[in-house]
Amino acid sequence: MNRTLMKVLATVALFAFAAGAQAQETVIWWDFLGGGDGIRMKKLLEDFNAEHKDTIEVQATTLDWGVPFYTKVQTSAAVGEGPDIMTYHTSRIPLAVSQSTLAEITADDMTAMGLSQDTFAAATWDAVHVDGKQWAVPFDTHPIVLYYNKDKLTAAGLIGADGLPAGLNGIDNFKAALKKIQESGTKWGISTVTADGNFSFRTIYSLLCQQDGVVLSDGKWLDGDNVQKLENSVKVVADWVTEGYSPSYTDYPATVALFTSGTSAMMINGVWEVPTMVDLEKQGKLFNWGAIELPVFFNHPCTYEDSHAFAIPNNTGKTVTPEKHAAVLEVIKWMEAHSLFWATAGHIPANSAVTETAEYKAMQPQATYAVLTANGIFDPKSKYAGVASPLFDAAGNAFTAAINGETTPTEAVAEMKEILDALE
Amino acid sequence: MLKSRRNEILVAAMLVAPFIAIYGWLFVYPTVQMIRLSFTDAPLIGEGAWIGLENYVKLFTDKVYRTAVWNTSYFVLLTVIPGTAVALAIALVVSRLRGYAQSLVLAAFFLPYVLPVTVVYLIWNWLFDVQFGILQSVIEPIMGQPVNVWRRIPWFMPTVALVTIWWTNGFSILLFLAGLRNISHEIYEAAELDGAKRGQVFWKITWPLIWPVTVLCLTIQLILQLKIFDQVYLFSLGGRTAQTMVLVQYIFDQAFVHNDGGYGATVAVSLFIIVVAFSVLQFQGLRARGER
Repeated sequence: MNRTLMKVLATVALFAFAAGAQAQETVIWWDFLGGGDGIRMKKLLEDFNAEHKDTIEVQATTLDWGVPFYTKVQTSAAVGEGPDIMTYHTSRIPLAVSQSTLAEITADDMTAMGLSQDTFAAATWDAVHVDGKQWAVPFDTHPIVLYYNKDKLTAAGLIGADGLPAGLNGIDNFKAALKKIQESGTKWGISTVTADGNFSFRTIYSLLCQQDGVVLSDGKWLDGDNVQKLENSVKVVADWVTEGYSPSYTDYPATVALFTSGTSAMMINGVWEVPTMVDLEKQGKLFNWGAIELPVFFNHPCTYEDSHAFAIPNNTGKTVTPEKHAAVLEVIKWMEAHSLFWATAGHIPANSAVTETAEYKAMQPQATYAVLTANGIFDPKSKYAGVASPLFDAAGNAFTAAINGETTPTEAVAEMKEILDALE
Repeated sequence: MLKSRRNEILVAAMLVAPFIAIYGWLFVYPTVQMIRLSFTDAPLIGEGAWIGLENYVKLFTDKVYRTAVWNTSYFVLLTVIPGTAVALAIALVVSRLRGYAQSLVLAAFFLPYVLPVTVVYLIWNWLFDVQFGILQSVIEPIMGQPVNVWRRIPWFMPTVALVTIWWTNGFSILLFLAGLRNISHEIYEAAELDGAKRGQVFWKITWPLIWPVTVLCLTIQLILQLKIFDQVYLFSLGGRTAQTMVLVQYIFDQAFVHNDGGYGATVAVSLFIIVVAFSVLQFQGLRARGER
C-alpha cells in the first residue's frame, strides 16, 4: 500500500479517536416516569441528545415508580453505583437526606444553570430544602385538581358567565351541586379513588390545609386541634359516599373510567391524567371537559401538591469530574428551559419563566389550574412522609374504611394518630 | 485401579468444594448476617448499633406482627389442604380422559400456573372490580350490593386464597397425575374382579398408594404458602395493609418502607423458625400416618 495513504488513514483515525474522547460526556439518567408523562420525557431526552450530539449523551433508564425506585437509588448510591442524575419526588427528600443519598445542590450550581429562588414558587422552593440546604432542582409541581364534564355541569346550571364551574365552594354548596347533577340525569356527582385511603389522603390533606391544619408540628403528629380538623376533612369525603354522590370502594382505573364514560360528572385526581383526557378528546371520544383548582370547602383555597425534581445522587466512593458535573447541570438547565412541552403531561412547570409565556397561558386546562401553585401545600418534612411512605400507608389503613362508612372519621383519625405515634 | 484413601478424600473435597463455597457464600453467610442484623437497629443500608433483644421484645407487643402471623396461618389453612384436595379431584377426573381430550383439559388447568403474578392480579382485579367486574353479577344478588373484596377484611383472605389455588394448582395436578399413572392397572383389575365399588376402590387402593405424592404436595404447598407475599401485596396496595398484612410482606414493609433493617431481619428470623418448625412437624406427622 501507498505510504501517503497510510499516513492519511492513520491521521484520520487519530483525529476521530481524539474527537470522540473529548466530545462525548455520558450522563446516566434514572427516572420513574412510566405513564403518559414518560412518553413525553423520552421525547425531551431525544431532543436533548440531538441538540448535544457531539458533547453530551444522556443514557436514560425508566424504573418502577414508588418504593422499588427509591430502594434501588438508596442501595446503589450507598455502593457508588447510582446514576449521574435522577428524578426525585421532593416529598421523599427528607428520608434521602437522612440516608445521605443525595448530593447537595450548591449556590454555584444554581448560578451555573442560571436559576435562582425567584425562578420557583415559594412552597416549591421550600420543598427542595432540608436543614437549610438545597437537595434538588424542582422541575414541576403536580397537584390534584377537580376535573369536570362541562356538558353535564352546563345541564345542571353550574357553569358561570366566565365559562368555568360556579357555585362549588363550601361543603353544603358542593353537595347541593352534586345533587343537581344527579337530578339532571347523571349517575354519580363525583368519582374519587375511594378504594385507596392513601390516594384519598391527597384530597383529605388539602381539606386539612384549607382549615390551616397540619399533620406534623414540632415533631408531633396531629397535635391539638389538628385531630378535629382532620376529622372534619375525612367527613367531607365520607359524606359524599354515604349520601350517594360518590361510588364506594372504587379503585383508580375505575375512577378514571367512570369519569371518561360520563357516568360521573366530576373527578378529583392528579394532573397526570390530563394526557388521558387530551388523547380521548383527539379521538373524538370525550365530552367538553376542563380542570380547576379544588373548590374552597373551608376557610381558604389550598391543594396538595408534590414536585418532580432533579437530584444528583451522592455516590459513595465515586468522584465526579468537573466535566461530568457540568454536563449534569447542562441537562437540568436544558430541561428547565424546555419544560413547556412537559406541561402537556399535565404537570405545572416549576420554572416560572415558562409558565409566564404566552404559549403556556394559551394551554388549557393547564393555565386555568396553574394558579393553585400559590396555594399549594407539600407533604410534611419528615423521613416518614412522601409518596409511598409510612404516612401514606397510615392514611390507607385509617381512611379506606372511614370514607366508605365502615368506621367513623373519629375512629379513623384516632387510628391514624396511633400508627403515626408508633413511628420512632 | 488402586487409589489411596487420602487421594479419594482429596478428590471428593475438590468436587464438593465449589458447591460448599457457593452455598456458604450465597446462603449461609447471608443467613448469619441476617441473624446478626436482627440484634441491631440498622437502617436498610449501613450499620446499626447493637441493641440486644430489643427487636424481639418489640415483636411480642407488635399488633401488626400478630395480625401478620394470624393472616399467614389463616391463609395456609385456606390454601394448603383445600388446594391439594382440589388438585387430587381434578387429577382423578383428568386421568379418566384419554388422548387429546386429556392433553387439552390438562393444559386448561395448567395454563394459569405459567402466568406471572402481575397478570394474575390484573385479571382477578378486573373480574372483581366493583364498578365493571363480571363477578359482581354473582356477588350482588347474594349480598344485595357490589362488594369490593379487596377492601372488605372478611372477604380478603378467602378471595386471595381462591385466586392462589386457581393460579398454582396446575403443579399439584401434574404431581398427582404422575402418581396415579404409577399405580399398576393389575391392582384395579383385581379389585374389579373381587366386586369392589368405586368408593372402595378409591379409599382402599388409590388413596393409600397416592399418599406419598399427597405428602409431597402438602409439604411443598405449606412452605410455599407460608411465604405468601406477591398476591397479598398487590391486592392490598393502597388499602388497609395493617389488617391484611402477612409475614413476608411485613418484612418488606419494615425493611424497605419503614427503613428499619434490624426489625425487618427480626421478623425474617421469626418466619424462618416458623417455616422450619412447621415443615418438620408436618413431614414427620404425615410420614407417621403413611407408614401405619
